Amino acid sequence: MKKILPPLLVLAVCVAILWKWTYGFSAFTVFSYTLREAGAIPRIFPDAALIDQDSSVFHIKDKQKYVLVNFVYLNCPYVCHKVNNRLEEIDKAISPEIIPSQLELVTVSFDVGNDNIRKIKNYRNRFGSDIHGWSFALPHQTSQSEFDTFLLRAGIWAKAAPGGSIINHSIYLFLVSPENKIVKIFDPAREDDASIIEKIRSCIKG
Amino acid sequence: MHKRIKDSALLLTIGVLFFVFSFPMNDWFSLTMPRHQVLQLPAMFTLGIALAILFKKVNIHAISWGIAVLIMVMTSLIFWMLPRSIDLTIVYPWFNRVMHVTMLMAGFFTITVWRNIIFEIKITFPGMVAAMVLATGLALRTFTILLCSSFTLEQQKETGLYLIVIGFVLFVFMLTILFRELGRAKKEE
Repeated sequence: MKKILPPLLVLAVCVAILWKWTYGFSAFTVFSYTLREAGAIPRIFPDAALIDQDSSVFHIKDKQKYVLVNFVYLNCPYVCHKVNNRLEEIDKAISPEIIPSQLELVTVSFDVGNDNIRKIKNYRNRFGSDIHGWSFALPHQTSQSEFDTFLLRAGIWAKAAPGGSIINHSIYLFLVSPENKIVKIFDPAREDDASIIEKIRSCIKG
Repeated sequence: MHKRIKDSALLLTIGVLFFVFSFPMNDWFSLTMPRHQVLQLPAMFTLGIALAILFKKVNIHAISWGIAVLIMVMTSLIFWMLPRSIDLTIVYPWFNRVMHVTMLMAGFFTITVWRNIIFEIKITFPGMVAAMVLATGLALRTFTILLCSSFTLEQQKETGLYLIVIGFVLFVFMLTILFRELGRAKKEE
């Protein structure tokens, strides 16, 4: 009986390490772990001052309506643009029925060092003039470390890869309620537009 | 005296290779997923095996402790194959070095156990590792979602293919041990 103790003890320790590392075997990627670590939904969307493409400063909590928030950086070689193209389709599918009266879209750049108002304005113009209720924004008067804390509290993983040009990041879309609570989180890599639109509609309808 | 010089040279070679793989070549290994997972990780494990061959006197005799050590080795292999761990090794080079040391130790302790462990465990351990590597390879090959943000989907699929090949090689290795030991047992009868 004594002989079985060392392997059993070691097995227990090893399982505990893997359990802790994967948030109870539920989060195997940095994205899902960061999201789980931020807390279960519904939860308060962290506050940060943002500045949009027209230089207007705003807070998500002050919108008093549903807001679909996503995070990008303009130098992203691929995935951010793909997600924004999806958002464009979503915007067109539910506008003007819901947007902008009940829902707004906010795309926030987390690349404080490289992106600026001129760049986000030019970037927004690429989507044409018929994207209603969709703002592109930057953190306003916020240091990189403060904004990094905000991202972690929101559940977004964003870290520059060695070399600096690529930022590894999550692509989740957060649906924030008028009470400033995250009520739905969408993963555009796993969900199609129709499913996202349906869930947004059902949330807004209550 | 000659043996001592030979051993010292081998130890120095292992040390130099560990340093080269872990420091000057780290950026090159970290550039793509196949290099990181299929070259750097096994390279460190192999260096650990070489180190154990050098230190022949370090042996774990008790079966229970041998199994405990093999569980630790298996856990470390699982740990460093998790997408979260892989991403963090790319973002933080110091964390990648933790992986290097862990793999070196895993290779070292595998051999210190291997020398004295019973035949049944010699079969079970590579079989389990092969199954795990194959399952990981198949997952990486078939997933259309990027699991590690530091790499691309193409690299993820390429790594999956290489892991499937490694898994099969490990199975062949396991079968070789099985039939060799069975043949030996038959002769003894």
